[in-house]
Amino acid sequence: MNQAEAALIIQLQLGTAQAFKTVVEKYQDMVYNTTLGIVQNEMDAEDVTQDVFVQVYQSINEFKGNAKFSTWLYRITITKALDHERRKKRKKRFSLVHNFFGTRNEESNHPIEFNHPGILLDNKENASELFKALQLIPEKQRIAFTLNKIEGLNNYEIAEIMNTTFYAVESLVARAKINLKEKLKNYYINLSTK
Amino acid sequence: MTELDKKIVQQIEDTLNSFENIQRASPKPYLLTRITAKINNKTKNSWEAIAYFISRPAVMVLGLSLLITVNLSVILINNASKNKVIERSISNISEEEEYTSSFVTFETNETP
Repeated sequence: MNQAEAALIIQLQLGTAQAFKTVVEKYQDMVYNTTLGIVQNEMDAEDVTQDVFVQVYQSINEFKGNAKFSTWLYRITITKALDHERRKKRKKRFSLVHNFFGTRNEESNHPIEFNHPGILLDNKENASELFKALQLIPEKQRIAFTLNKIEGLNNYEIAEIMNTTFYAVESLVARAKINLKEKLKNYYINLSTK
Repeated sequence: MTELDKKIVQQIEDTLNSFENIQRASPKPYLLTRITAKINNKTKNSWEAIAYFISRPAVMVLGLSLLITVNLSVILINNASKNKVIERSISNISEEEEYTSSFVTFETNETP
């Protein structure tokens, strides 16, 4: 952590409004982009981003400076985004039960196609399929892949965020690719036979 | 490998590489204002939640009964320890008396 960042954190811990404003302005894209990669919905990502900064405001005194501030922020972001997803899945399950007993809500049972606003126009269609496939692979693999491909972090940085080793991240990303290939293969074979 | 397989393999590769050159997405403007509003709202809400929780009859009854139980147990413990002190002082006195009486007996024995 550099001196300017350390000074900013001290100001934040003292409750200075200007320091909080600086932190939000500096890290809002990072938090929003990571969240968007996980929750795959712009409105939800906006909500989670707000929750992340509320959490930062409330628990900044728990930040001891052992890791980089951005690492700490990434951890909060991932936790909040995954919590949000779990809540959403619970709601979905509940709506399935609801449907079983009569009241139908078709929309909530189908994955909504997601278009990331930062994807190049030529890649939009493929990226949308990749986002769908990402929802089908294990959580840790998905986080490692998302941080690597969407946030552009290297394996050392991801290892620090996920509190694991470089080799574990390497393996997670590799397995994510294998699983994604498998899911995409099934999808494209089904598509070609239709 | 058939033509179809080749096409599928290529499609999978293209899809896996579709995140390349991805731009960072930004949230809508005035995020800070919305966060500040959320923080203020949460603080207000947490106080309201505490007040609502305390004012619930079940919590009030439970709190009062807990208070009474703690008071009663403190009184009982105090009484028990007082009794012990009294018993101990009585036994001390009796021990002392025994000691003095034996001493006196010893003295009286010595006199003749």
